[in-house]
Amino acid sequence: MSGYLESVLVLLAINTILAYAAFLPMVAGQLNLGVAAFVAIGAYSAGYLSNTFSVHPVPGAFAALAMAGFVGWLVAFPILRTRGIYLALATFALNQVVQGAILNMDAVGGASGYPIPEHIGFAVVATFAVGVLALVVLLFHTRFGISVTAVSDDERVADLMGLSVRGLQSAAFTAGAALAGLAGALYAHHFNYVEPQNYGVLFSIYVVLYVLLGGTQTVWGPLLGAAVFTLLPELLRGSAAWRYVIFACLIIAIMALRPQGVVVRKAWFSR
Amino acid sequence: MLEQQLINGLMLGSVYALVAVAFTLAIGVLNFLNFSIPGLFMVAGMLTWFFLRAGLPWPLAALLAVASGGLLSILVERFTYRLMSRSQHFVPLVTSMAFLILFENLALIAWGSDQQRVPLPFETVSWRVGGTVIAVPQLVGLGCAIAAVACLDLLLKRTHIGRGLRTIAEDPETATLLGVPVSRVVPVVFIVGGVFTALSGFLFAVNYQQASPFMGEEVALKGISAMVVGGMGNIWGAILGGLLIGVVETFAIHWLGARGVDIAVYGLLLAILFVRPTGLLGGVVRQQRM
Amino acid sequence: MVLEIRNLSKSFGGLKVIDGLSFGVQAGERLALIGPNGAGKTTVFNLITGVYPADSGSVLLDGHDITRLASRYRIRRGLARTFQNIRLMPHLTVVENVMIAQYARTPGVAAMLQPVGLGRANRWRQEARAALADAGLEAYADEVAGSLPYGVQKRIELVRALLAAPRVLLLDEPAAGLNPAETEALHQALEAIAARGVTLVVVEHDMHFVGRLCPRVVVLNFGQKIAECPTGEIHTDRRVREAYLGAEDYAA
Repeated sequence: MSGYLESVLVLLAINTILAYAAFLPMVAGQLNLGVAAFVAIGAYSAGYLSNTFSVHPVPGAFAALAMAGFVGWLVAFPILRTRGIYLALATFALNQVVQGAILNMDAVGGASGYPIPEHIGFAVVATFAVGVLALVVLLFHTRFGISVTAVSDDERVADLMGLSVRGLQSAAFTAGAALAGLAGALYAHHFNYVEPQNYGVLFSIYVVLYVLLGGTQTVWGPLLGAAVFTLLPELLRGSAAWRYVIFACLIIAIMALRPQGVVVRKAWFSR
Repeated sequence: MLEQQLINGLMLGSVYALVAVAFTLAIGVLNFLNFSIPGLFMVAGMLTWFFLRAGLPWPLAALLAVASGGLLSILVERFTYRLMSRSQHFVPLVTSMAFLILFENLALIAWGSDQQRVPLPFETVSWRVGGTVIAVPQLVGLGCAIAAVACLDLLLKRTHIGRGLRTIAEDPETATLLGVPVSRVVPVVFIVGGVFTALSGFLFAVNYQQASPFMGEEVALKGISAMVVGGMGNIWGAILGGLLIGVVETFAIHWLGARGVDIAVYGLLLAILFVRPTGLLGGVVRQQRM
Repeated sequence: MVLEIRNLSKSFGGLKVIDGLSFGVQAGERLALIGPNGAGKTTVFNLITGVYPADSGSVLLDGHDITRLASRYRIRRGLARTFQNIRLMPHLTVVENVMIAQYARTPGVAAMLQPVGLGRANRWRQEARAALADAGLEAYADEVAGSLPYGVQKRIELVRALLAAPRVLLLDEPAAGLNPAETEALHQALEAIAARGVTLVVVEHDMHFVGRLCPRVVVLNFGQKIAECPTGEIHTDRRVREAYLGAEDYAA
């Protein structure tokens, strides 16, 4: 496989994992503008473990997943006391704080960036992506999918119907954080270099936008969104900036014409 | 030395204050977080650089920059609030984010990613007050910010449009029933916000002599923190929040270095959201799901 | 007594909405809770189900004090309800909506992660579809709930509440907004439910409906119990007549 094709497919795999990292909180009604923070936590954790303790990338990726998930779980306690726009703002603030914190961590390079020599190829990344996809598809065939949708639709009644609202919201948020961390670790070990400037709120915004483009009503929407975001620019060539211009116009159009996103279906459970 | 930092902080704060007012108007009246505002800030700042470098007299450059804010804000309004009544309530927020991305990348295409040095359009005059130095242009900027908000305050309290805006802020459906010409009044929120933001962009470019396609992200985004800290939906809260964030940032640079800024400014935002989400002056925001 | 309220009080701001309310319901009974608008009937339901905490007094289910029990546990103990303004989940289909209530029967992480959406013969989905079919709603099973007619949504809410296998069912104005045919169908459905041993507590304004379904009634006004008696006798109670004066026709 050519180097170019390989890096595009790797990006597709990573963006897919990211898509689901944003998707899980969104189904629970949480607009997570802090996705990038958890990606960064995952990337830097994996990088640090690899560089300092020679941890192999695959267990390192799991450790990164756990680390990001743990931070997500901790942060969920105060953040999930907020709702709606306050929650979006809190995740935004978290994103910027984490980015700022990493800028200050000289042990992992600070503003100069952090090289991570240990490399993983397409096969490993793709395996993780397929694994995540399978898990998410399975997850939305359980009560979890309809339960978090219920929580998002009507928290009060979901609670009266016996659901643990806080538990579900926290699970969605934490799982999203964990997946983001995994994506970060895979990125770090494939592209072998990370820097804090990449993990600002605009990164989170891109992810959220392409998930919305694909649609959050089904498990396949995020995958489509990730594919469009990754592949469209490749099809159109042009500079990175033009790709984002087109992406932005796509979003504006979709929100105007079909805000539910491209992939729409009525039910989580079919007949 | 401390006083100088304080003065510097207040001067910077006036930039944040204007942006915060734009944010807070959109939140308070329309209940939406307008992420395109940093984009408008950046466009105004870059246009200021572009026109000043081309030799235009600074009042003309200012006028053009501010006009750009107004015009672009109308464009944003067509695609955000105009469409809000349909189905999903997150549409305006999402579309505004897309506009931010659009403006930033268009600027990158037009002018590249370097930070540009804005030529100073006039001689810097500074006053010495006690042991501190106050740059007059910056003081004028602060004065403009406060004057602009005072006018806005009058507009909101004394005019038909202002009454209409406050009614919409209370309850948009009732506003229509009460005969408020919503489709004519809502653009005012956008235009005022756009003008304030663009003015802020111009002031920043001129006072700090820098402009880049990333200045929206780097500078104006902090206006969100200012808005929340001061109290969402409260324009005087926006002023207070803006000045406070300016001071916090200046002291953070002084004590922690440039890399401590984000932690300080956004850490404060995070803290306020957890501890006192209504902000210092107690904003009122219609609670609504995203 | 399967459900008992003792000296329940609740204030909002300075306003006392429920004032020292006490009454009890026997297992298998059908009790009506009536009173003029604003008497506090829905508030009583909200206190019983734990939407907000009582200021004082207690709520007992099967003799156990549930006054401080978090709301989500009450349905798991067998206490289900329907709502005055229909509260179905607009973004779920009808089947998915009613399946939500099944969780109360087997709560826990393992149950949450059960792949109920997988396979053709999953018993939980079958049960939900069967319950909808019993209620004559199978045609709507895969429709998104938010777009259905009012009367249909009301019936779905009832099916949902039943799928929690409750022992006590609180119904908040189940006949409101229904035409006579729908009201009769509702009556038949509730009779069948009661025949299965489910205790019913019904808030209603339609006194004819109440008279046919509920032998006993508790009358509320301004948050206080002003009468408790067999349904046939309320029109003789002076205080009840005063409370309703000019409001409604309640000839049984």
